[in-house]
Amino acid sequence: MHLNNSKRIVALGVLAALSLTGCAAGTSGSGGSDAAADCAPSDGKVDLTYTSWIPGIDKVVDIWNKENPDIQVTVQTGPNGNGGTYKNFFNQLSAGNAPDLGQIEYDALPNFRVQDGLTNIASCANVSESKGDFIDWTWNQVTFGEDDSVYAIPQDTGPMAMYYRKDLFEKAGIAVPTTWDEYAAAAKTIRAEGGYITNFPQNDVNWFAGLVWQADGKWFENDGDKWDVSLDGAESEKVADYWQNLISDDLVSKVPAWTDEWNNAYNTGSDWTWISAVWGANSISSGAPDTSGNWAVAPMPQWNAGENKAGNWGGSSTAVLKGSDHPYEAAQFALWLNTSDEALTALNQEANLYPATKDGLKLPVLAEGVPFYGDQKIYDTFAEAANETNADFTWGPTMTQTYSDVADGFGKVLGGSGTLNDALKTGQEKTIAALTAAAIPVNE
Amino acid sequence: MTTTSVPRLKARRVPVKHKKAIAIFLAPFAVLFAAFYLLPIGWAIFQSLLVVERNGTFGKPTQVFGGLSQYVLVFQNEAFWSSVGRVLLFGVVQVPVMLGFALLLALLLDSPLVKGKKFFRLAFFVPYAVPGVIAAIMWGYLYSPNLSPFAAFTSNVDLLAPETVLWSIANVVTWIYVGYNMLIIYSALLALPSEIFEAARLDGANQWQIAWSIKIPLVAPAIVLTAIFSIIGTLQLLAEPQVFRSFTSSVSSTFTPNMTVYATSAVPNVSLAAAMSVVLAIATFIMSFTFLRLTQRKGDK
Repeated sequence: MHLNNSKRIVALGVLAALSLTGCAAGTSGSGGSDAAADCAPSDGKVDLTYTSWIPGIDKVVDIWNKENPDIQVTVQTGPNGNGGTYKNFFNQLSAGNAPDLGQIEYDALPNFRVQDGLTNIASCANVSESKGDFIDWTWNQVTFGEDDSVYAIPQDTGPMAMYYRKDLFEKAGIAVPTTWDEYAAAAKTIRAEGGYITNFPQNDVNWFAGLVWQADGKWFENDGDKWDVSLDGAESEKVADYWQNLISDDLVSKVPAWTDEWNNAYNTGSDWTWISAVWGANSISSGAPDTSGNWAVAPMPQWNAGENKAGNWGGSSTAVLKGSDHPYEAAQFALWLNTSDEALTALNQEANLYPATKDGLKLPVLAEGVPFYGDQKIYDTFAEAANETNADFTWGPTMTQTYSDVADGFGKVLGGSGTLNDALKTGQEKTIAALTAAAIPVNE
Repeated sequence: MTTTSVPRLKARRVPVKHKKAIAIFLAPFAVLFAAFYLLPIGWAIFQSLLVVERNGTFGKPTQVFGGLSQYVLVFQNEAFWSSVGRVLLFGVVQVPVMLGFALLLALLLDSPLVKGKKFFRLAFFVPYAVPGVIAAIMWGYLYSPNLSPFAAFTSNVDLLAPETVLWSIANVVTWIYVGYNMLIIYSALLALPSEIFEAARLDGANQWQIAWSIKIPLVAPAIVLTAIFSIIGTLQLLAEPQVFRSFTSSVSSTFTPNMTVYATSAVPNVSLAAAMSVVLAIATFIMSFTFLRLTQRKGDK
């Protein structure tokens, strides 16, 4: 889900090469109708291409290729979405040679739709019928809440919970926080012990969005005529104020996430908790191997005691990109990949993906205790969180820009100037400017 | 540039022979030059003149001719201009320091007083052979407050703070390119005829005087060349600050002009990014040209 350093370097090399030839990419205004077109099977053998950055995805696709000699899928891998693959998709779409299928995170789907990059597969066999199989909010993401529209098949989700150092909490005599107030109080105790309760990640703006999501905030709404942007809404402000206090009081560490320094903070026991998504389980075990067996998972702290709300961070869909000659076969593959037990089990084993289907949450692999977490059955907590995630959260059409502008503001805060709320306000203004520049109607 | 016309023998118009052969030899270059240079530039200029139109929240985008409206947006774009200001500040400090070092090292290598020239020449040049990204990663670790081997120092003096990170990057860039610039100046020094120095020594000049009054003025064209390369390189700074984004939150996504262009194209707002690229290219051209004129006028006297 995130770039490790070596991948980042490769991405940089590509980036540098691109910048040499100048920035030239066009978008032709062509493209079929938005309405669900007829979706008929093709004759004869079909070859599909599929671009994804899931590690080990080729092994999962091999299972399909063995079972379906007439529909062969070739996997192309790339950097993670915002790390380069989305940019490649946009360029390929304008050049007319996009892959048939692409991995697209939920927060990027609106961007691809406004760029006319997705094929509506609602009329392909079994697609619309699968609505009930998926967790409600994921289906809203791929349909944009419209009838007769399905632009992608949900793949995985990132329900959030709290990873914490059980051993350190017990040793310090701190009760596991269940509310954000208790969490802030624990932060002070932990700081007195010489540690930090957690790290504030500058660039993980989608993590921050997950916290706002939990607080029932919304960043975007689309009434069909215009977009509403409310990065600086009341719930966002509440969450921002809360974390601002932790930052100002030096109760959280401020190292850039997904770096060796960040791993080091967890591996040496300097950082004690991480509010993160289900896929973060692997990030801790690979980044902080020395702490094996000392971690546990509890539900996210709540704004009001007794509530049981969760946010979501990340998650992808499999989309049929515009220009595919075989939407029927592509849709069938995407359904198999994201609903069949064999594929979901393989995806979980290869890449720790957490299924977006309701049945997938009951897979045997997800019922087992995880040794790194003291044999706790951590997926039970995440399954609960997945079902408690507000179904109405909507992403805007220029999230890459929004993330980047808000992250710049967060960076200033961590450097000691401005507040998180300033960053959100600037992000709000820049997002509206970006929407206007793309001629997307927006309520100002 | 006005070249003072040297009286030349009036060339008789000779009919061009071997037209086919010339065409065949030129073709590979011409094709590649057109495909990978002229075409992308032309396309970028074309793209920069377009704007997007659409209907509704999910309407299809159509690109229409928008005149210079993207350029108006470029000139109103605060992030772009503050990134330009940042690299100019960077260049004003870093380029003279780096070229000063390069000149000093070149003169030392050229001086008869230094032993082990081959070794030092290679040693100074090696950093340039390290890819810029790798160098930036290495320095990023050296600067890091917790992981650095000099953590005792870096955890007290934050080299990656918002106020210091620009100069930390300047140090990396200097480290990489000093040897490269040194080599250009050094080869200019080697090309100087040795009689000049013999004459100077006979006149009683010491090494210091030879370096200051003879060598430096004579290699001035080489220094001008390295300065122009450095100005262009500074305006196009990309890899080092981009790498530093994974070490510190002090480097924003619009830290340098090229990063601003990249971030804008990722939105994707390719027309605005193309307009920025064109403005940046023109600015680079103007600055290099102005520098060349200024230094040449001095040299003409």
